[in-house]
Amino acid sequence: MNDMDRRTFLKRAGVVAAGAAAAGLGIGVSAPGLLRRLRRPWDEDAFPPPGRPRVLVARAASYDRDLDRTVETALRDLGATVAGRSILLKPNLVEYDPDTVINTDPRLVAATVLALRRLGAASILVAEGPGHRRDTAYVLAASGFTEALRESEARFIDLNVAPVRRVALRSRFTDLRELWLPEAVIDADIVISMPKMKTHHWAGVTLSLKNCFGCVPGRIYGWPKNTLHWAGLPEAVVDVAAAVRPSIQIVDGIEAMEGDGPINGTPVHAGILVFGTDPVATDATSALLMGLDPRGIAYLRDAGRFLGQADLERIEQVGEDPERWMTPFEVMPAFEHLRLGATSTDGGGPDGLA
Amino acid sequence: MPSLFERAATALIQGRSGDGFGPTPGADPEPEPTALAAIALDDDDARRWLLGAQRADGSFGLDVGEVRDHAATALCALALPPGEARERALDHVLATPAERVASDDSAPRDADLVGWGWTLGTAGWVEPTARAVHTLRRLRPSEMDAIGAGIGYLDDRECLGGGWNHGNPLVYDVPIPPYGQTTAVALAALHGAGSAVGLIHRGVGVLRRLWPEERGPLTLAVSLAAFRLLGLPDAAQVEVALDEELGRTEPAPDAVALAWAAIASGPGLSALVVPS
Repeated sequence: MNDMDRRTFLKRAGVVAAGAAAAGLGIGVSAPGLLRRLRRPWDEDAFPPPGRPRVLVARAASYDRDLDRTVETALRDLGATVAGRSILLKPNLVEYDPDTVINTDPRLVAATVLALRRLGAASILVAEGPGHRRDTAYVLAASGFTEALRESEARFIDLNVAPVRRVALRSRFTDLRELWLPEAVIDADIVISMPKMKTHHWAGVTLSLKNCFGCVPGRIYGWPKNTLHWAGLPEAVVDVAAAVRPSIQIVDGIEAMEGDGPINGTPVHAGILVFGTDPVATDATSALLMGLDPRGIAYLRDAGRFLGQADLERIEQVGEDPERWMTPFEVMPAFEHLRLGATSTDGGGPDGLA
Repeated sequence: MPSLFERAATALIQGRSGDGFGPTPGADPEPEPTALAAIALDDDDARRWLLGAQRADGSFGLDVGEVRDHAATALCALALPPGEARERALDHVLATPAERVASDDSAPRDADLVGWGWTLGTAGWVEPTARAVHTLRRLRPSEMDAIGAGIGYLDDRECLGGGWNHGNPLVYDVPIPPYGQTTAVALAALHGAGSAVGLIHRGVGVLRRLWPEERGPLTLAVSLAAFRLLGLPDAAQVEVALDEELGRTEPAPDAVALAWAAIASGPGLSALVVPS
């Protein structure tokens, strides 16, 4: 998309802010909210200022056709360097329900494994710590992951039980200060966050940043990992993602979920994959493709201050025309304000829940 | 042909780390797998590790930053021999119920029934609550108020039609279905509880439906323990399924699943029986 097209897309979507700083500071912010946003609760030396990342939208009508080629081409076009690197693929695998689409599709994960091999990755590990179910072997088998992993000869580790190390947080939106994180996550050269594109009844959307919750071990934080919610859900999303630092994102928006996500929502065919190397930019673009204003999502606003680029005018959209493939997602009433064209961008939903 | 107990116990022992047991083979020891292994294997070395790992407040867990994980404490009490350390662990369980969470449309609940949580100072959930109820019923049956409150929590969090998931039976008016593993943990905790006959009856019906569908090693192992503790003949079929599953599951079963398999199929189950 050329620059004029991109600006037209953003204007039609109603998200080109009047002021250059609007994406970072929000609009219609209360005094306490403004004070909160003036704080800078992160180590500036740990997070270089976000640049002008590229986000690539790819059309994918189904999971059956040449997905590995789509992934390979997208990663090449993004300039993502994976050759010789150890890769940890982190899909979203929470729960199994045959009637809906909770999890990242295993066919996309298998296709990504193939693509990464062709691109020369030194090692590939698929890893997840399911958030609701303790019996990971059951969730893997029921959701089709066991078979997909076997066919793609990919190794899987359960992050809920994997060896862990203490990590001091370099951001302090919560009071957590430290996390136990799996060594596999810490030691990987590249963590690829592969979320399902879903609305979330307590966070607005769940994409590559929120997907990082699965890296936190359930044997310490519980099933569900409610200890993180207790610390403040939007704030915990930011702190955990800032610790995990997923440097590549692949959002599964082929069959997505709207409404009462992340578990009880309704499947919606969006027919897209979103690729990026900046998780904030990827999530902001994905929200937009869901017909939602990323500026209204509390954790994206905070993450956009230091972890990546949330200003849509500074994100280079490549690949398919996002305007053409935008699908307005249904949201829960608490997030109606996120719909493009709604006036308020201040919101967040209830905290402290599972 | 080795028995299920022999296979599970052998795999468990092969993965031990010094005196204790980590969550995966060779990993640093942690309280939950070590407690379960101590019960499964009647292992004094594991008990010694637990004694050395007990915190000053009687609890067991892994601290990090502001988070104090203490959900293993009730299991550790079951594993410890009679004495001061066990009593301190029980005191900790009694002193640290979960925090009160107001009911709302997103997750309606009886806010006065708090249960027990995974980490200190947070909300209650089914599995840690079931552990506390189980342990107190076996080792401190005189604590009737706490036991009653725990059973009340499990009653409040029962799924529509019976059984339990992690602890939210209804979210935004949508019934959330029960899980086999959490249903089995709760049934094991409630076996023989006269005040929970209805919960048990409905939970057993749910578990009979779920275990054939949810054939992961942890679900099957805890289901086997629950059926055995309840004295139900379903245990025979579950044991066959678990025996098959242990040999083919990818990834290989972790220490908690193996320990539950060894407990359910061996003499360690007696350590979980609540005297009538």
